[in-house]
Amino acid sequence: MNEQQTMLADTASALFADLSHQATIADWSQIEEMGFAGLLLDEAAGGFGGSFEDAGIVFRLAGYNAVALPVVEAILAARLAADAGFAADGLGSIAEAANGSIDGGAFTGALRGIPWGRSADYVAAPAPDGGTMVLRTSGARVEQRENLAGEPRDVLHFADAPIQRADADLFALGASARAAQIAGACDAVLAMAVGYVNERKQFGKPLGKLQAVQQALAVFACEAAAANCAAVGVAQALDRGDARFEVAAAKARANMAAGVGTSIGHQAHGAIGFTLEYGLHPLTRRLWSWRSEFGGEQYWMDTLGRQVVAGGADDFWGGMAGRTDPPA
Amino acid sequence: MIDPSKGLRVQTFTIKPFEMPAKAAALREQVRSLIREHVPPGDIARRANCWQVNDPAFSRALGKAGLIGMTWPKAYGGHERTALERYVVLEELLAAGAPVGAHWIADRQTAPLLLRYGSEEQRQRWVPGVAAGEIYGCIGLSEPNAGSDLASVRSSARRDGNEWVLDGQKIWTTNAHIAHIMIGLFRSEAGSERNAGLSQFLIPLDTPGITIRPIINLTGEHDFNEVFFDEVRLPADALVGTEGEGWKQATAELSLERSGPERYLSSMVLVTELVRHAASTGEPAAVALAGRFAAEAWTLRQMSLAVAGRMADGEDPALEATIVKDLGNSFEQAVPLLVQQVVELDLAAPEPLAQLTAQLLQVSPSFSLRGGTREILRGIVARGLGLR
Repeated sequence: MNEQQTMLADTASALFADLSHQATIADWSQIEEMGFAGLLLDEAAGGFGGSFEDAGIVFRLAGYNAVALPVVEAILAARLAADAGFAADGLGSIAEAANGSIDGGAFTGALRGIPWGRSADYVAAPAPDGGTMVLRTSGARVEQRENLAGEPRDVLHFADAPIQRADADLFALGASARAAQIAGACDAVLAMAVGYVNERKQFGKPLGKLQAVQQALAVFACEAAAANCAAVGVAQALDRGDARFEVAAAKARANMAAGVGTSIGHQAHGAIGFTLEYGLHPLTRRLWSWRSEFGGEQYWMDTLGRQVVAGGADDFWGGMAGRTDPPA
Repeated sequence: MIDPSKGLRVQTFTIKPFEMPAKAAALREQVRSLIREHVPPGDIARRANCWQVNDPAFSRALGKAGLIGMTWPKAYGGHERTALERYVVLEELLAAGAPVGAHWIADRQTAPLLLRYGSEEQRQRWVPGVAAGEIYGCIGLSEPNAGSDLASVRSSARRDGNEWVLDGQKIWTTNAHIAHIMIGLFRSEAGSERNAGLSQFLIPLDTPGITIRPIINLTGEHDFNEVFFDEVRLPADALVGTEGEGWKQATAELSLERSGPERYLSSMVLVTELVRHAASTGEPAAVALAGRFAAEAWTLRQMSLAVAGRMADGEDPALEATIVKDLGNSFEQAVPLLVQQVVELDLAAPEPLAQLTAQLLQVSPSFSLRGGTREILRGIVARGLGLR
């Protein structure tokens, strides 16, 4: 991390640890005061001028601390709104999917999977005919839903709502952000598990002395490391430009890690980790949610598989390795 | 690594963004054209696990092209290229399944060890030949009662006037039958225990008293050997580095050995054939498997390169390197099993997909044994997590 990134990480870390999974939307002003929503906006537009790599650091820490606020979504929505030339004010969020149609520059239908949609002033969504659309939420009917961790994942119903468009692939951006959140939450679950097995004694010694426990947590560590490297890799690719390959690879790989990590994390904690009182579930219930949001493993493996098959076997390796080579 | 007491910014794997060398694309093209020129299509199964496939003629061609000893000083036949330029060459060779086994150990370990700890005479005598692709090495670590438990080494070295006298036995010694030299770990202090009192020796394998016997692996191939030492007399200057520091020297650069591209690319040629199969049949399960392989291989490449980049900056990310090896071995080992699961194969058929799957099913158990078993690696990772 460069100096600026270290400062960003320090700021985010302190604030997010304080907010944690117990934050409510009433705490949003604290995020706003720090200017996080403008992370991906140009400095000329009053933003931080950050890269996707910078944003990835914040996304990861939001995941690590299970922050119960739409930090990630607001950052992406602000950037997409700017891309669309949409005059954004208030809280922005993003939708995972749209079901409806666009007629004469207006959307009619439902947007699904909107974090804190009930509180959002505007929302960016995948347009039914490709690209991204941005629209105000005023006048939309709100159908409240929640993910496993109790975070709002609302459905908003629109009739003839004016939209503005951007070229960006919102679903891909959402997937890359969730990969970073998964990476952070995996590290947090791992840290909790390590702390727990070093404290908890059975058979007269800490659980962490048992080889079976050690080996399981080592497997988890490898998975967490993979998720973290995938998340950084996709952020760097987004900064370079075309990240179709990396988005698919990173979300698929992070999802695999989330599956292994939640299972080993709970096993290491035994029954206490299964209680509402203990602080493991805010992380694991988010991990299970994020594993489905913006594409599951099979979806992204299929997508990536079609990409590499279209490129042909003889270009498979060169196509992949060449992606990080500087232009000749 | 993880230290819960440090609060909320712990990370399992410290990531430092790397930049690929400006000449990467040109280097890839150079390697590909060398392979086209020197590696006949021939037996497709020889492309699997290719860093254990020997072809001295190809090694010499690589040496001539300046692609062995790439980072070493020119004074010893090296080429003073960067570590990441070397990385690009290695990953290209491995992904293509080129037969790089003959010189692999000498390029990766033997000569670098001599450059770090060896005497000037040892370097001058042996390193240029390694860089030329003409001198091959092997590693004398494992013994019948010292495999994963390496500190149980019992083979001995005793001083007799101006000479060292070696006695004992090494086992599982890859390529002892084609190698010119061994770097061997011997107990040089009688009565010493565990990792104390061990020293490394540079042993020309044509020295009288050395007997090399093949151990044939389950495919019928001859990779590894038993090496017997019966009053083998070496001059005093056969000692490498410092007497009694053998353990430290032997384990100092394990990161180099553990995180290289060979730790996840041993099955890459089969991955490529699976992509070909998916492209020609369009089978959805094969297409999805191609995607899974791409996702895992891409992630492992990121990880392996992150470690390579940090080592190039003079760091020793030992834990990250261990993680790369464990995860990489699991991937390359799973590849043939997953291909077999998804594709209907006639393993007796001559098609590349069948031949490579058959070969890798048989040799892949060794992937998580060689260079540190899975269980040992996970123990190291656990210790890094703060367990034990």
